[in-house]
Amino acid sequence: MLRSTSHNLKNGIAYCSMVLNRRCLATVTPSKLGFYDMTSDTATEVTDDMFDIMRSASRKDDVFGNDPSVNELEHYVAKLFGHEASLFCASGTMTNQLGLRALLTQPPHSVLCDAQSHINLYECGGLAYHSQASVTAVTATNGVYLTADDVDANRVLEDVHNASTKVIALENTLNGAIMPMEEMQRIHTLARNENIKLHLDGARIWNASQATGIPLADYGQLFDTVSVCVSKGIGAPIGSLIIGSKEMIRKARHLRKLMGGGWRQAGLLAKIAQHCIDTVIPTMPETHRLTKKLATGLEGSGIRILLPVDTNMIFIDTAPLPMQELADALQKKRNILISAEDNGTITRLVLHHQIDESAVEGFVQVASDLIKEKGISFPTTPSRPKVDVSKAYPSIQH
Amino acid sequence: MLVRRSIARSFSTSSATRLYIQNNLNNDQTHPSLQTNPGAKVYDFRSDTVTAPTDEMFEIMKAASRGDDVFQEDRSVKELEEYVANLCGHEAALFCASGTMTNQLGLRTHLSNPPHSVVCDARSHVFLWEAGGIAFHSRASVSPVICRNGIHVTAEEIEGNLIEADIHTAPTRVVSLENTLSGLVMPIDEIRKISELARSRGLAMHLDGARLWNAHMQSGVPMHEYGAQFDSMSLCLSKGVGAPVGSILVGNHGFIDRARHLRKLFGGGWRQVGPLAAVAKHCIEHVVPTMPETHKLAKYLADQLTSLGVQLQVPVHTNMVLIDTTSVGLDVQKDLIPTLLSKNIVIGGQRNKSRIVLHHQVDRKGVDTLIEGVREAIATHQANEPSEPPAQQQAIASAY
Repeated sequence: MLRSTSHNLKNGIAYCSMVLNRRCLATVTPSKLGFYDMTSDTATEVTDDMFDIMRSASRKDDVFGNDPSVNELEHYVAKLFGHEASLFCASGTMTNQLGLRALLTQPPHSVLCDAQSHINLYECGGLAYHSQASVTAVTATNGVYLTADDVDANRVLEDVHNASTKVIALENTLNGAIMPMEEMQRIHTLARNENIKLHLDGARIWNASQATGIPLADYGQLFDTVSVCVSKGIGAPIGSLIIGSKEMIRKARHLRKLMGGGWRQAGLLAKIAQHCIDTVIPTMPETHRLTKKLATGLEGSGIRILLPVDTNMIFIDTAPLPMQELADALQKKRNILISAEDNGTITRLVLHHQIDESAVEGFVQVASDLIKEKGISFPTTPSRPKVDVSKAYPSIQH
Repeated sequence: MLVRRSIARSFSTSSATRLYIQNNLNNDQTHPSLQTNPGAKVYDFRSDTVTAPTDEMFEIMKAASRGDDVFQEDRSVKELEEYVANLCGHEAALFCASGTMTNQLGLRTHLSNPPHSVVCDARSHVFLWEAGGIAFHSRASVSPVICRNGIHVTAEEIEGNLIEADIHTAPTRVVSLENTLSGLVMPIDEIRKISELARSRGLAMHLDGARLWNAHMQSGVPMHEYGAQFDSMSLCLSKGVGAPVGSILVGNHGFIDRARHLRKLFGGGWRQVGPLAAVAKHCIEHVVPTMPETHKLAKYLADQLTSLGVQLQVPVHTNMVLIDTTSVGLDVQKDLIPTLLSKNIVIGGQRNKSRIVLHHQVDRKGVDTLIEGVREAIATHQANEPSEPPAQQQAIASAY
């Protein structure tokens, strides 16, 4: 499915056609420290050239709202997503919680979201704390993403006993897997019919957009508020943005001060974030290709892949080989870091623009050698779940 | 222990004149005539938060470590936190995005069990300027104390406003002081008395030390001596100290561990912060020693303005000059700000009050231009309304 250049982009970067045009991909720069951190894409390293860019930023006070570099970034990102305004903050937790708080005006109220979502599991109970909201955590029937049916079956209705659903919060990508646009549209329609607001945790929406070819604005316009990270795969040192209407963002700015997020000379951080958005996003298709290459390689050795590999994450199960043994071998032989729980056999691998082909090939080699050395034989159950988005997005090659 | 008894508590609320010293920080949006000379340097006297990063700071940032602070893996951040903790005689520290965050985290970590309340100066930042954070983050009430001497609260006033446990009450759990407050240095003797009082009642002591550096340089009291009086202190790095971003909370290990967890909840869990931490440490070492110069310049400014007939709301101890223009008949917004803007000088304020803040990036030339601007504004006003009677004196004490 060919999509023409998105008209929403300022610098004429053809996000969509990048998917099929491998030659234009920016270089994937290997880690200067000499190790490859695949525990998360938050591990993207700061490079020397970033400081010269930071130096060129404006140096005004963002609490006063008059810093040009910050205002430029906020305007740029808002337009990318087809919204009026945005707010640059210290973290994704902050932007998620701000977006939700701005939508959740008065208890009793609840938020419906995927049981595996970041806002449910990894934000220190923020929904209860910041918004006094209950959470309806739904386990996706298909094991990968929420469907409109899942949402409809689980939303809490208005009743004197209830904290009715006031916000549906989706996450895309979630565990690296893409939520299909049709499903998002169905959920959008349902929400609008029932007067429910919509928030997107789009920490990795950039990856989804690069993989599917769908412009960011098409995703953006389905939601009242969108939270997007720049410190993950995009590679900026710090930050995240919350996007919405002027009124929403005005409220969010006030709430941000309340949460202690009113920072001063943040221009330097905004400038480097904008630079990274422009230069790193085009490298994402290459990262996705390497991720698939790694998944295929590991699968070839018998390791099970637990979720669809749509973007930059792989969930693997190495049972009966303990994950710690694989982690040790990878670190010793190739300086590759992966996370391993004690006595666990499941982990998440995350790639980003600073992971190169040689790291991937090395990983596959180390895993294969270790398996042979230990004489491991794997169970023969099929590894991929049934959900496969490639039919919706022919550009994604499995 | 909840006891039903009559409590003699001296209520300090009174029908005082407006306590907010409105800074009106958004002045440049209300005055489209800003910067008639776009090329010339602009002096922003609204706050010391405007200290801007220098080119040299980016080299320091480049040389810093680049680990992930959420996982506590960054060397530069650890170095800054250890350095400040040691300086203050505390066990640990936590580097955060803002003073509001470190204050609210400090208070929240002390306030674990409602009903509970905080006692503080009625002018405190934590009470007036943190968007209702104490109520929001800690579900705590506030007992704001209006100090009679107009400079700082006393141990007697604090004691008179402590709320004891009773079925009806939200008992005091934390005493929160601020030093400097409106640029005023709180004497170490008074702080010691309050600390003894608080500790004898099992209350926690928290300091909003956003500008403790200024107090320390002015009074000569070592940082760790202040530190000994408090269970937690919040110190700003992006104000007079001059770093671009950040503030730091100090306390003991257990306290900082809990504060770190709460920081993530607040959305303050940031990633590759090494560069910001390294530059903050550099600024503490190089900028804090320049504060006495800044304080001298502030005194000079105050002297010059009073010689023009302008009055001071409070004495000048450090880097702030709080003026009252009633006696020279000027309305800050209508008469003073436009004149100053035409000279590329920005101040805040409303009606006849303004707070002027100096820092190490303000030079003598800027201050002289400000003085010249005030002189001009007064002259213009007198030329237009020569028959206006001299305004009433308004001593601080009569407000209470």
